Amino acid sequence: MGVMDQVELPKPIKYVFNWGRKYSLWCFNFGLACCAIEFIAASTSRHDFIRHGVIPFAHGPRQADLLVVSGTLTDKMAPAVKRLYEEMPEPKYVISFGSCSNCGGPYWDSYSVTKGVDQVIPVDVYVPGCPPRPEALLDGIIALQDRIQHESLKERMAGRRLDPITLGADAPLALEG
Amino acid sequence: MTEVLARRDEALSADEIAALLRDRFAEGIVDAAVEFETFTVTVTTPVWADVARMCRDESALAFDMFDCLFGVDAREEGFDVVAVIYSTSTGNRLALRARCDGGRDAPSCPSITDVYRGADWMERETWDMFGIDFPGHPGLEPRLLTVENFEGFPLRKDFHLTARVAKPWPGVKEPVELDEDGNVIERVTGIGDAPGPYDLDKALAEQAKAVNAPVGAVTEDASADDDASEADDASDDAEGTETDDATVEPADSDGPSAQEKAEARRREQAEARRRKAEERAASEEPDGDGEGDA
Repeated sequence: MGVMDQVELPKPIKYVFNWGRKYSLWCFNFGLACCAIEFIAASTSRHDFIRHGVIPFAHGPRQADLLVVSGTLTDKMAPAVKRLYEEMPEPKYVISFGSCSNCGGPYWDSYSVTKGVDQVIPVDVYVPGCPPRPEALLDGIIALQDRIQHESLKERMAGRRLDPITLGADAPLALEG
Repeated sequence: MTEVLARRDEALSADEIAALLRDRFAEGIVDAAVEFETFTVTVTTPVWADVARMCRDESALAFDMFDCLFGVDAREEGFDVVAVIYSTSTGNRLALRARCDGGRDAPSCPSITDVYRGADWMERETWDMFGIDFPGHPGLEPRLLTVENFEGFPLRKDFHLTARVAKPWPGVKEPVELDEDGNVIERVTGIGDAPGPYDLDKALAEQAKAVNAPVGAVTEDASADDDASEADDASDDAEGTETDDATVEPADSDGPSAQEKAEARRREQAEARRRKAEERAASEEPDGDGEGDA
């Protein structure tokens, strides 16, 4: 990244730079269970997150900016997630999609399931649900893009991360008929 | 093995299969009965592999397809191994069952990988989950399904879930209750005889009813506080809308609590919904899809 992780960029340049970054998130889908189907639904024509600038099915982790862990992460699979995450170039972002990857979900007392992907890699956005609807993933993506727009790349490259966003944590989902 | 494919009419009955096996193995066959809708032959471990081989090679039996193999925890009596095999020509299905040697401490059962090659990973899985050794297997290690340094055998009845030790079951009901001997207590629960999901549903329904109070009732309350001239408007839908909007604004300006705000928003949404419905009714257009969900 050259000089960008050494000095704080001037504000206009930072704005343009972050604007460009947030609308070209190459997405690496780590589909592990049924949530992956919702992820795929979010990528297809009805919901179509490409209109938000998320480009699905990156060729590999080395070409990806965004890792979406969707599904049940087992202890057996955890080293693979960690390894692929480490192969991704900085700056990289992680969305934890669904209850299983957030905290183990319904398998919280299983002998084989990791209690949340955040035990292995740092997470930027948690999307709750079992499974969450595709709209929830769009919400998560927009929350992440908002964060990218306002973040300092220098801080990010120095490894100083902001606290993760949990969708629906401050305002509980409304009970609507 | 060289028979024509379909010969369903030549399929042997369960008794004939049992007789054929008893003829050959005599004492080796412990029991033959239909269990769980599958004809199950219980054998001793010394003849386990030979029975499987005969089932495969005997032309009258011709169990040419290996279906699955798994363990069963028989508590203090040790472990069982069950193999299910199938005949593609006669359509028969057969379960072979054997009580392992070595009790609970070192259960072992001869491998049938040289009879059915497909048993390889099934036996590894059974080793992973129950710790049953299969002498003659090409290699049970490393662990197939769990992490390689996993301790214990998770499908044994005496395996403790560490998460359960650290944190008690958070649900309103314990899914399985055990008596002092560790046996599952069978219990038929009726609706509403324990604080369970049904009561939660009722409580949630009450809550939802309180939150989403009928619009008419709200309007009536509000107009009672207002001028008496507007009191009769409560019955009128269109006028009622006006009254309702008017009452929302003063509540906002008074420095409303979050709850009041939420209430106002909810009322606004209900109004919008109703207005939309009215418009639709007025235009008399046949509704498309999706619109009605708004």
